Amino acid sequence: MTRILALFLAVSLTVAPASAVWPLPQSFQTGSSALRLSPRFDIQLSVNHASQDLRDAVSRTKFHLKNDKLGRLVVGRGSSDEQAVASAPTLALLTLSLTGPGSESIATEAQKLLGERDEAYALSIPSDGSTATITANSTLGLYRGLTTFEQLWYHYNGHTYTIQAPIEVEDFPAYPYRGLMLDTARNYFPVDDIKRTLDAMSMVKINTFHWHVVDSQSFPLQIPGFENISAAGAYASSSVYSAANVRDIVSYAGARGIDVIMEIDTPGHTSVISKAYPEHIACPESTPWATYANEPPAGQLRFVQPETAEFAANLLGAAAALTSSAYFNTGGDELNTACYEQDEPTTAILNQTGLTLYDALDNFTATTHKRLIDSGKTPIVWEEMVLNYNVTSLSNETLVLVWISSNNVAAVAQKGYKLIHAASDYFYLDCGAGAWVGDFPQGNSWCDPFKSWQKSYTFDPVSGLTETEKTLVQGGQHLLWTEQSGPENLDSIVWPRAASSAELFWSGPGGNVSAALPRLHNVAYRMRTRGVKAISLQPEWCAIRPGVCDLTA
Amino acid sequence: MGAIVSVRVDMVVDTKDVRDALASVVAPAFALWPQQRNLQTGSSALKLAPSFHITTTIHNAPEDLHDAVLRTLEFLKMDKLGRLVVGRGSGDATVVSRARTLSSLTLSLSEGSEINSIATEVRKALEDRDEAYTLHVPADGSDATMTANTTLGLFRGLATFSQMWYTNDEDTYTINAPFSIQDSPVYPYRGLLLDTARNFFPVSDIKRMLDVMSWVKMSVLHWHVVDSQSFPLEIPGFINISRLGAYSPSSIYSTLDVEDIVHYAGARGIDVLMELDNPGHTTIIHKAFPEHVACPEATPWATYASEPPAGQLRFALPGTANFVADFLAAAARMSPSKYFSTGGDELNTACYDQDAPTQKQLNATGKTFSEALSDFITTTHGALVAQGKTPVVSEPLLNETLVKVWISSENVAAVVRKGFKVIHAASDYFYLDCGAGEWIGADPDANSWCDPFKSWQKSYSFDPTANLTDTEAALIQGGEHSLWGEQSGPENVDSITWPRAASSAELFWSGPGGNGSTALPRLHDVAYRMRTRGVKAIRVQPEWCALRPGKCDLTS
Repeated sequence: MTRILALFLAVSLTVAPASAVWPLPQSFQTGSSALRLSPRFDIQLSVNHASQDLRDAVSRTKFHLKNDKLGRLVVGRGSSDEQAVASAPTLALLTLSLTGPGSESIATEAQKLLGERDEAYALSIPSDGSTATITANSTLGLYRGLTTFEQLWYHYNGHTYTIQAPIEVEDFPAYPYRGLMLDTARNYFPVDDIKRTLDAMSMVKINTFHWHVVDSQSFPLQIPGFENISAAGAYASSSVYSAANVRDIVSYAGARGIDVIMEIDTPGHTSVISKAYPEHIACPESTPWATYANEPPAGQLRFVQPETAEFAANLLGAAAALTSSAYFNTGGDELNTACYEQDEPTTAILNQTGLTLYDALDNFTATTHKRLIDSGKTPIVWEEMVLNYNVTSLSNETLVLVWISSNNVAAVAQKGYKLIHAASDYFYLDCGAGAWVGDFPQGNSWCDPFKSWQKSYTFDPVSGLTETEKTLVQGGQHLLWTEQSGPENLDSIVWPRAASSAELFWSGPGGNVSAALPRLHNVAYRMRTRGVKAISLQPEWCAIRPGVCDLTA
Repeated sequence: MGAIVSVRVDMVVDTKDVRDALASVVAPAFALWPQQRNLQTGSSALKLAPSFHITTTIHNAPEDLHDAVLRTLEFLKMDKLGRLVVGRGSGDATVVSRARTLSSLTLSLSEGSEINSIATEVRKALEDRDEAYTLHVPADGSDATMTANTTLGLFRGLATFSQMWYTNDEDTYTINAPFSIQDSPVYPYRGLLLDTARNFFPVSDIKRMLDVMSWVKMSVLHWHVVDSQSFPLEIPGFINISRLGAYSPSSIYSTLDVEDIVHYAGARGIDVLMELDNPGHTTIIHKAFPEHVACPEATPWATYASEPPAGQLRFALPGTANFVADFLAAAARMSPSKYFSTGGDELNTACYDQDAPTQKQLNATGKTFSEALSDFITTTHGALVAQGKTPVVSEPLLNETLVKVWISSENVAAVVRKGFKVIHAASDYFYLDCGAGEWIGADPDANSWCDPFKSWQKSYSFDPTANLTDTEAALIQGGEHSLWGEQSGPENVDSITWPRAASSAELFWSGPGGNGSTALPRLHDVAYRMRTRGVKAIRVQPEWCALRPGKCDLTS
């Protein structure tokens, strides 16, 4: 083989190369040479006492390189690359090394406080077949680099190859929090579905699984000391996450660079607790539900009662002990006051103490959050706690999720809280699929229309913020509320759409949807090769002809 | 629904028994979908005997009926669906343990009936199909009976029978015996359109769709098999088109695949109406026959087509008309249906304005665009009629007998006023793909062209004869949901279609005017049963609501 011929062929093939890397690295330099993986390709760790989860990640990468078998998304699916690839140099080795001291597990790194995580890495792949390298300060960074490495390769006729060597990547995330929220209470999701979702999340470097595990409709979480809630409040005895299931999920996520932040939403969204502890719930299943709750069934914790606050603190503390995260989400959204106005125990205490409902909420929050903070957790709350209920007992470290509207971001930032973008007008995956409340024939979803990937991709995380306020933005997430979802449509409603926020918060805002689309096709196609039912964004005719189906093409 | 309070004189009943039975029938969620024309139920428990069997009194019963019986027995054994109430039927245990057992269901054809296969019956002309059946399930355990004039009617009755039963521990039972049903559809055409050209669907996905369709008594798969983007159909004599125009060699329906699909559908009481949309929606043909396609992949595509890529048949050329006639005839020979759809939608004139061969031909003959199109349709439809097919077209073309109204339900009246038979397929009620964002690239703020999402409630509330006279109303043949595949594939075909498309299945079987509130618990049953059979029908509500009929209604 002559090098010159190989280069000539390679150059002729790189018209409109569809780089498949998602999220886009901060610095990404590619060439136009073909390079293929040697049949003996190996990955070596030059890391002392490498953690088991890093070794496992290496094994998974090797497995994916062998089994993805993704054809390049061009007409012919790579058939035109065959000649160049046949004569291309082969890559036999990738080495991973740490530049920093020590080597903690990926999970340990991923479970640190947001400001202390280091996900940066550098990846270098020479075009001549000499050894490729990934370097990072942490095993978490090496893991992110492996994820990038996996996305570089295509398959045609027995060869696993790139046509863009050499490749030089320097990469780190713009924001430390890149999440996905899943509600497992409106409808239940078996552990396998959660694990598959964690796998898909890790493919696009999402690092937080916000697990809205329980709600008014069902309580599928077995909490040590409070087993009777799940016994009485899960949809079925088989629809319960045992403590062992939670540990399994937390460990599976950690090994994939994902922190599991559990949410036990309080004091609202707790109706089902009445099945085990009726004394702690006001207006359980009261009707008409629309008077007492945002959705059926009504019922909220009697937070005004000191013994209920103590009960909630114990419950949250016990749940928090199940997770390894530095964070715990206590909810705090959609409190209904009519429920408490007709609740005698609540009104009796308020009359007796002279406290207002919101004074009492402040006390309740102080009690429950203290328990969490004492056990090493930083609380996370929904926006109403700071914007509507004026809870002053919140710690300055509390993270606030903005969900009602992106218009509320500035107000939260002005109060000085760190915030996470989760606005329904950009990131709610369930919007636009019709009303789920019965007997409402002409109804649409409350948050119509559907939030397309293009919509969330074009979100500006720092719109309207001062320079100081901008530093409060920790990142953001897509959210799947599951009134109309279950294992049946989990993949198809989430993927590849949620990848749009993964890139937004890793690569930073300002991405161009036209340039992103071919890469997003790659994400979806690769997910499908790995058994994730990501939907088609366009007819395949368009997917293999980048740009040709653009509006003005 | 006229519920009979059954007086069980045949049993020694203690008061607790009655109390248990009554307790468990509070708001009984009858699972039958589509709703029967005449349904009488009681409140007795009845369970299937372990030896339960289905017999037919039909001499030389056709094989597809025999297979349908076996599938029904399999569902009765394997569905294992718990009743959709709190406790999932655990409260039924006492009455069920004491209930009578049903040992047998007997299927008969009424005297003098012709004995045909289910497939033969469902491929008759729409007006000649007989899907009626009667079904009696006594409460005392004596034999259940089903009668019909056709095997197709018996097949519809079996679909009903398999929806009656729940499972609790080891028992398969109902708490609504006796049943007395007389049923027949209001409209003969109850369809689902699947587009296999924008994205490809393997044969196994199509078969699973056919299974689900049969459970809700749909009668037509409208198979939009090819389009401008890909040509996944191998047509004898024209195999170069699929060879060059399919997404990949593995994304082609061979003649054997088509035979298999048609056969599978027929055995499930479904007629396969194949559509080769023309003269628009045909770009991809240029890969094999460039001489017949105007403006292939011309840009900007938006000038020359409704979606990329541009390209349409040069219908003004007599050579092209003959080519299309041959090609439609060859495709029509692959399908035993009485009907064949030639599409005819979204013709773009700018494409032809800049096409030299078309302009030259029009100038030479002095014909207008419309006259040339009319000649083309005469030629191509003539070829189909010669094959014994009735052409089906989309609404802008109004020169044949069966017209699919898709652009808007507001166009229905205009079509029937011209005396054409109509199939409802309006985008504002029945398009499953609406409301999922724009698929065209570089258009960040756009939504789907037919926003919003069409909920099951929306299609369920459709009135097929709104603003029509009685004479006009008689022209309505039924309707269909449509899944255009720009943003769909095997990954979401179940979840985007089911249980939503069941709403039109009931609308066109049971007739309009159904109440969404009383339908919802039954629709939950449909979705739960689909899931037990491996179909990924989505949740319509949180399970909390699914187990508590009416509790999640807007005003409850």
